Amino acid sequence: MTEKRFCDGWGRRDFLRIGATGALGLNMSLPKLLQAEASGNSLTAKKDISFIFVFLKGGLSTIDTFDMKPDAPSEIRGPFQSIPSNVPGTRVCEKIPNIAKVMDKFSIIRSFTHRNAGHGPADHYMLTGYHPLGGFDVGLKPNNQHPAMGSVISHKLGPRGAIPPYVCLPNMHNSGSSAYLGPEAAPFTIEADPSSPGFAVPDMHPPFSIEAKRIDDRRSLLSKVDRFHKSMEAKANRGTRELGVFAQRATELMTSKAAKQAFDINKESDGLRDAYGRNTLGQSCLMARRLVEAGVRCVTVEHSNWDTHYHNFQTLQDDLLPKFDQAIPTLFKDLDSRGLLQNTLVLLTGEFGRTPKINDSAGRDHWSRCFTVALAGAGIKGGRVLGKSDKWAMDPAEDPYGPEDLCATVYNRMGIDPRSEMHTPDGRPIMLTNNGRVIKDLL
Amino acid sequence: MHVDMLIGRKSVGKILLEVTKRVCAREPKGFSIRFCRSLEDRLMLSAGKITSDLKMANALRRKFKGFHLESMPLVVLVLQGAIDSAFAKAQNTVDFTSDILPLMSRMGCNGAACHGKAEGQNGFKLSVFEHDPESDFNALTMDSRGRRILPTAPEQSLLLRKITGEVGHGGGIRVTKETSAYKLLRKWIANGNPFSIEGKSKLEKVRLDPARRSMRFGEKIQLKVLADFDDGSTRDVSWLSMFHSNDEGMATVSEDGKVAIGDSVGQVSLMARYRGKVAVFQAIVPQTGPKVAYPEIPTNNFIDELVGRQLKRLNIAPSGLANDATFIRRAYLDLIGRLPTAREAEAFLKEEMVDRRLKLVDGLLSRPEFADFWALRWSDLLRVDRLKLGHENAHEYYRWIHQSLATDKPLNKMVRELLTADGPLNEQPAGYFFRTAKSTGEMSAMAAQVFLGVRLTCAECHQHPYDRWTQKDYHAMRGFFQQVKTKESAAGLALLANGNPVIKHPRTGKVIHPYPLGASMPDKPPEGDRRIALSDWLTAPENPWFARNLANRIWAHLLGNGLVAPVDDLRETNPPSNPELLDELAKHLIKSKYDLKAMIRLVTASRTYQLSSKPNDSNFRDEKNFSRSLFRRLPAEVLMDAVCDVTGVPEKYDGMPSGYRAVQLWDSQVRHYFLKLFGRPGRSTVCECERVTGATIAQSLHLMNSPNLQRKLSHPSGTVQRLLLRHTEDAELVKELYLACYSRKPTTEETRIAIDYIPKDNLLREKAVQDLVWSLLNSLEFIFNH
Repeated sequence: MTEKRFCDGWGRRDFLRIGATGALGLNMSLPKLLQAEASGNSLTAKKDISFIFVFLKGGLSTIDTFDMKPDAPSEIRGPFQSIPSNVPGTRVCEKIPNIAKVMDKFSIIRSFTHRNAGHGPADHYMLTGYHPLGGFDVGLKPNNQHPAMGSVISHKLGPRGAIPPYVCLPNMHNSGSSAYLGPEAAPFTIEADPSSPGFAVPDMHPPFSIEAKRIDDRRSLLSKVDRFHKSMEAKANRGTRELGVFAQRATELMTSKAAKQAFDINKESDGLRDAYGRNTLGQSCLMARRLVEAGVRCVTVEHSNWDTHYHNFQTLQDDLLPKFDQAIPTLFKDLDSRGLLQNTLVLLTGEFGRTPKINDSAGRDHWSRCFTVALAGAGIKGGRVLGKSDKWAMDPAEDPYGPEDLCATVYNRMGIDPRSEMHTPDGRPIMLTNNGRVIKDLL
Repeated sequence: MHVDMLIGRKSVGKILLEVTKRVCAREPKGFSIRFCRSLEDRLMLSAGKITSDLKMANALRRKFKGFHLESMPLVVLVLQGAIDSAFAKAQNTVDFTSDILPLMSRMGCNGAACHGKAEGQNGFKLSVFEHDPESDFNALTMDSRGRRILPTAPEQSLLLRKITGEVGHGGGIRVTKETSAYKLLRKWIANGNPFSIEGKSKLEKVRLDPARRSMRFGEKIQLKVLADFDDGSTRDVSWLSMFHSNDEGMATVSEDGKVAIGDSVGQVSLMARYRGKVAVFQAIVPQTGPKVAYPEIPTNNFIDELVGRQLKRLNIAPSGLANDATFIRRAYLDLIGRLPTAREAEAFLKEEMVDRRLKLVDGLLSRPEFADFWALRWSDLLRVDRLKLGHENAHEYYRWIHQSLATDKPLNKMVRELLTADGPLNEQPAGYFFRTAKSTGEMSAMAAQVFLGVRLTCAECHQHPYDRWTQKDYHAMRGFFQQVKTKESAAGLALLANGNPVIKHPRTGKVIHPYPLGASMPDKPPEGDRRIALSDWLTAPENPWFARNLANRIWAHLLGNGLVAPVDDLRETNPPSNPELLDELAKHLIKSKYDLKAMIRLVTASRTYQLSSKPNDSNFRDEKNFSRSLFRRLPAEVLMDAVCDVTGVPEKYDGMPSGYRAVQLWDSQVRHYFLKLFGRPGRSTVCECERVTGATIAQSLHLMNSPNLQRKLSHPSGTVQRLLLRHTEDAELVKELYLACYSRKPTTEETRIAIDYIPKDNLLREKAVQDLVWSLLNSLEFIFNH
């Protein structure tokens, strides 16, 4: 079913958008913010884009999936066969037959490349568009020297209504935070796995022991006790004004039925939950769709275990690819059927690919020199193959693209100028992307 | 034949000789037209750069006599170029360094967003903030086959075609042909694009006219940038300068120096930059409307006099004096980072001695929590980081800081010990300061920022954009730390500072002997451990930054805003909001032998510190001139402790013995959701800005809904249970809660509201009291120090 529910494809999300203060961008200066508040103007652009970033941590083996080399010697090509997809001329791995059927929904770049094959720095590079500099400490959480894309989006565009603009599922990646953009642009983290039975957002609801009436009682008591609330003092201080805005938004988030529903994955039918797959990747993707639908601008889904140094083929075949092949096509179809795909950018990638040459443990090691990245939605033409790898997928054969270009493209789709300048708290100017080019051939 | 190899030689003569030799030897039968043209262009350009004289050109002409015929047209052309250029120079006044480069900065060409990026833009790279004029000149005149500049047909120069949009330019149209900017560029190109003109007077300083003025809301003014030269001449360089406002909220400045004042009261600085020199304009914006009746206010000490003088200038009347309840809460939070207990608060409220506030401060200063709290703040700045230093080491480092504060070590002594630590680190734990830095450059930048409040990092790669520091200054400071190294010894890892390492300017390669900020370079490096020389200079009473920086930091801690803000950004172009006050505070600090507690006594004794937070009509908009007390969110650790104290249920921290308070945590990496959420710094830099007090949704959610908080409320040995057992009278119970949370008694109305909420039924009472505590904890009055 590809029919839109509303004629412009936007009604549903607007409908779900929560709260009257939906326009309060965090990136606005307070006077501006208060101004917007006072005038009740919505500063949210009508046609705005959401972003789902499925990050396959460890590094998806793209030579075994999207860029197979059937003519290479056996120590390179591996045991998997390629099959035709629904895009004439594009063949993919036999182990992802469902993805083969939706290849027309997204485009792939087979000549993606960067220069770091270490997990931590490569992650930072792919998530922020900046290669980390000296002194980078992988173990720090967060370790961001530059803001992750979600933080930039959050900073530049602000929230839509009560719901936070940037959410990480199920956890925040170490490089998923806001760096110099500060806590306001940091992700809203859930730190819980949507596939686990007791899944809930921390602190979004009062503890179970506090019944609904008591919550109302507490609120009304607080409004009487808090003598500075709405006082001259509260208006004359920056800190109190700021807190007022956020506390209001927190209350909206708590009390908003739509937000509550968005985070309540049990609201989905069992059929759809099964279709996505009852595992972390599947349920996170489903959750991502729910959140986007409710107004979240950027959802990062992190899925681990793609670091297949040992038994690459067995792991892919038995564990990773079945989940991938279930979740991703369902996500595309689900977004599409709700009319969301044209306004939701979806990005699928690991921090790098894997060595063309198979190692002694039947595994593949890290390979950042050439791998495949997939994008869909938000004006990205489907079914295209950009760039080409060389005969054994060692290096790009033509049109190499890097993380800078990827970020520039994402920002461009989000309506953010990739060439704009940001400032650190001590005033140092930093470019949003490190000279990235928007990948025009995708559009 | 690589022509590029020849470019950059010192004299046109050498280039010509080289070219001719090679051309004649290898290609005696002549060369392609294209090669000829390219060579011609390039040499013409170089000729413009080089200050040769006519004599030289003529001498060359003689030398070339008899060379191979086919090569002659080239030689003639080249010589012609040299001659033309030499003639042009005689009448020329426009050159690259004093006109063209500033103009390009002004147009934004070398901005970090454009050609100033590390990798340039579209193959054209300029140095950011004009820090490398030679390479900029080369990029403009020689790279890309010299097609950016065509002296023979200036209008056809790529430079001019790009900036006027005649050909596609990513940066858009920067100027039109009618502008003087365009004409200046055209003239420069036509004149043979000289780099610098010999004999032209040297720039000495830049100033803004006016330099200081009182202005009204919404008023506009045109600033003029005046450049003073060593020959006594002055030139208006406004149209070649860049302008910048320190506070866009208070005043904005247009590209051409037109200032527009906003609608905030206070002082604002605007700066201009021309050729790496900066100048500042300060606008004083008083409260508009009728003259505020300035009450006769007693002054407790010089602080009140100086603040009062400033407020009168700004037509702002200060708020009234805070009551005792507000004062005790404020003083506890500021001095020892905890709330007074209900009993302490109640006892103080009963005090009637005239000097009860001073006595209270004295008492707080002698409590052990004083060192805990101030050690926490210093550990942020000095980067006590377990991940970086290792568990044991970080702890030793912290203990040294704590010990220094607990024993009232004078601040200058403390800084000196840090900077000159030497020997085994387990005996000299102050030396871990050096281990927190990745490089000697970082060490010096850290020391400058923490101890002087001067940010040097910018100058590592280029001229500091808002200050006078050059790359040379940066590396000269680095030189003091270049001897620092660590070595394994019998007594463990030891810190050494010896040898005679040489520092070179990264661009020019010239040797730089260490010298402190603002000094000139000596003939040789200091003998022995250079850090001693640096410490002597740094902690000397004459040092223009050291005492001011410390005074400013203490002031900011107590008043919520620095006299210079941000606190670690002391510079010419960021003047203090009240310079006389900062000077006096610094003097006082020096006179009191850098005694932190004496400084705290002085400030807390002032009426200014003791003002109420209740705004009046005239100071409602003022958050910078200390006309009222500001609301400050409690720091993460203090807030956590306050929640624990009020609920009577302490928190247990990973890896710490039970009973540790959050303020006592020496390790900022202890996993703790609350502390992280409320902005505990990661200590990855020395910037005060790492500690954040900004609000987030998650913070509000946590205070309202966290199961941990509810656990504390319903804990069998918590405050709620205790109060229910102790007080049968609800009014007493409410009073104790108000004292514990707000250090004040509830008003009659507040008591009534609370009592109304608490039912008589014993079963329901407990929940209702929990709800009351919950409300108190979620109120602004609790979360903020005010």
